[in-house]
Amino acid sequence: MDISPSAFVVQPSSGVPIYRQLIDQVRGMIAAGRVQPGDVLPSVRQLGAELEVNFMTISKAWAKLEAEGVVEHDRGRGMVVTGARRVSLHAENQQQVRVLADQAVIRGLQCGMSRSELLGIFKASIEEHLQ
Amino acid sequence: MSDVVLEASALRKQFRDTEVLAGVDLRLQRGQVTGLLGLNGAGKSTLIRCLLGLLRPTGGSARIFGCESWNLGESEKARLGYVPQEVWLFPTLTVRGMADYTGAFYANWDAAAVTELLRKWELPQDKACGVLSAGERQKLGIVLALGHQPELLVLDEPVASLDPAARRAFLESLLELAADGNRTVLFSTHITSDVERVCSHVALLGSGRIQFHEEQDGLKERTKRLRLAAGTTLPSKADLPGVLQWQTAGTTGVMTVNNFTAALPDELRSKWGADVVVEDLNLEEIFLACR
Repeated sequence: MDISPSAFVVQPSSGVPIYRQLIDQVRGMIAAGRVQPGDVLPSVRQLGAELEVNFMTISKAWAKLEAEGVVEHDRGRGMVVTGARRVSLHAENQQQVRVLADQAVIRGLQCGMSRSELLGIFKASIEEHLQ
Repeated sequence: MSDVVLEASALRKQFRDTEVLAGVDLRLQRGQVTGLLGLNGAGKSTLIRCLLGLLRPTGGSARIFGCESWNLGESEKARLGYVPQEVWLFPTLTVRGMADYTGAFYANWDAAAVTELLRKWELPQDKACGVLSAGERQKLGIVLALGHQPELLVLDEPVASLDPAARRAFLESLLELAADGNRTVLFSTHITSDVERVCSHVALLGSGRIQFHEEQDGLKERTKRLRLAAGTTLPSKADLPGVLQWQTAGTTGVMTVNNFTAALPDELRSKWGADVVVEDLNLEEIFLACR
C-alpha cells in the first residue's frame, strides 16, 4: 500500500524540526500498526508539495529512517517500510511518555502536591481513558 | 569552491557616521534556501544591496559566482534574480508589456513559464503597471525575477505586501524553484513561519554582523528553554556557557541555552538537584532570545 501524503501533518512553528516530526509520525504509524512492512512512503516531491515544506527536509527525514533501517530504498517503488524496528519503537514510546509524565509530576510538586495526591491523579486519568 | 554561490567577508558599510554593517561574513552554498532575519533597521536591505553590487561597501568584500559584486559582468547578472522591496515598473506599460520588456534582456527567458505564473498569481495582463496595487507590484516583481530561471534568487521582504493566498503561492513557487537542489535563494522577512516552511538555513543579522547562519534543524536542536525546579536557591547569575537568557525566582528558574545537548538536563539535575523540563523553541522564540 502507498501511504497517502495526507496521512502526514506538520506544524512548522512547533519548535520541533520538521524532519523530526515526520520521523516521529512514521514511527508512530508503524507502532500503531497503521503501516505494515512493504508499505511505501510518499515521494519527496509529492509530500513536499502537499505539506508546502522544503523538499530537502523530506529527503532528510527519509534518509534518517533509511539509516535506522525503518525503511529501505527500492528502486522501482520508493521508500519501503521494513518493519524491523517494532521492538525498539516501544522503548522509544515509553521514553516519550516518561518525558510527558515528568512534566506533570514537576508541575504537581511545584504546587505542593503530595506523592499520594499525584498517584491519585494518574490513577484517575488512567481509569478514565481505559474505559 | 564552485559551490559557493555568494560570499561576503568582513563586509562593512557606513553611511556618514553610522556603521550599518560592521564586518559581515556570510557564505551561501549552492542549493541552500536561506531566510535572513533581523530587527527593523538591522541593515538587511543594506546587506542585500551590498551583496548584489547595488551599493558600494566601505570595506571587506562581496562576491557572487566568484566575481566581485561591484563589478558583476553580464554573464553573472544573467544568472541572478533580484526582487527589491520597492519594485520599479514602467507606469505606462501593461503587465504583459512589462514582462515582454524584461524578457528581452535575457537570452534564456521562459515566456511560457512567465505567462503561466501571471495566470496562476491572478495578475491582470492588460492592466497598466501604474495602477497596480502594492501587492500586485510585488507579485509582478517576483514573476519578473523568476522569468530567466535564475541560479541565485535574492528577495528583499518579498511577502510584505502579499495577501495570504499570494503568500502561499509565492512559497509554492519558491519550493518548486528550489526542488532540484541547484538553485540558491536568499530572502529577508519578518515572517518566521515562512522561513520554517521553506528554508534549509537561517541567518540572523544583528549589531552589524551575522550572529549565526546555519541549518535550521541544527539551530532548533541546539537552542532550548529549560525550566528548573531546584533543591536549593538558584544563583542570580548563570555560571554556564551558552546561556542566552536566565531568570530565577528562589528555587525555580527559566534558562534559554544555545548549546543544548541531551546530557545538559542531567548535568543540571546533579548540579542543583533540579527537576528539568526541556521546551522546544520555534524560530520566532529563538529570534527573540538571540536578538
